[in-house]
Amino acid sequence: MPEQVVIAGLGCGDVLGHLSEYVDGTVSADLRSSIEEHLRGCDWCARFGGEFSAVVTELRSTLKAPSEPAPDISARLANRLDELFDE
Amino acid sequence: MTALHPSAPIASSDGDLLRQTAEGSRSAFSQLVERHRGAVWALVRRLTPNDALAEEALQEAFIAAFRGAAGWSGSGSVRSWLLTLARHATYRHVRRRAGEPSSFEPLDELGAAAGWGQPVPVDELLARLRDQELVRRAMSRLDPDDCDVLVLRDLLGHTGPESAAALGISLNAMKSRLHRSRLRLIAALREEGFDA
Repeated sequence: MPEQVVIAGLGCGDVLGHLSEYVDGTVSADLRSSIEEHLRGCDWCARFGGEFSAVVTELRSTLKAPSEPAPDISARLANRLDELFDE
Repeated sequence: MTALHPSAPIASSDGDLLRQTAEGSRSAFSQLVERHRGAVWALVRRLTPNDALAEEALQEAFIAAFRGAAGWSGSGSVRSWLLTLARHATYRHVRRRAGEPSSFEPLDELGAAAGWGQPVPVDELLARLRDQELVRRAMSRLDPDDCDVLVLRDLLGHTGPESAAALGISLNAMKSRLHRSRLRLIAALREEGFDA
């Protein structure tokens, strides 16, 4: 990768280290401001930060997609539970 | 404020159903299973490589819930408790792989594996993320500790403090683990895409 730069007191590695907190909105106001200033001045971090944010958003959507077990799986579970109650 | 439909039956809470289960009510437990079967399935299926293992984990989780109903602490939600049982059941089937990288790899190495510093089109990565099977395979390559924090924060949507408490670690440790886990998952997705 290109040489890392320091902008707003943060190096590229610092920004990488805070990306999850930044995307989750859990950084302090001061740190958020510094990260955003760095992103405005560093194309490299802006690009990876944008990708990271998009990936986390998509990941949440994919993981949360509704899912139900197939009917035969539900039926077998019911049978197992029936056996338990008969014990 | 008055109820809109005073004559409508009041649904029992999960806690009530669990207490009734502990007293021997099959009907109460069936209602609990019906309510949470989908959530438990969504979890175990994403953490296992095939339907058969997911079904085993699903059954074990509900059997453990039935047997442990009397011991439920009453704190926290029943769903969270069921999902914790499901995670534990899953990990009994999906063996922790030997030789996994430790949690202390340098962050820039993890970032590089996830594409930091590399011109990989994000559209391609997003397309892979929409492929449930690909995400499942990538998740199955992660260490259980990584899966745990991703499940708690990104699947179940628990808050940071809730996730940290569930994992028994500090909030800062949870944040660090979450970030590294996301980077590892992205790296695994990239590898899965190339392997496919």
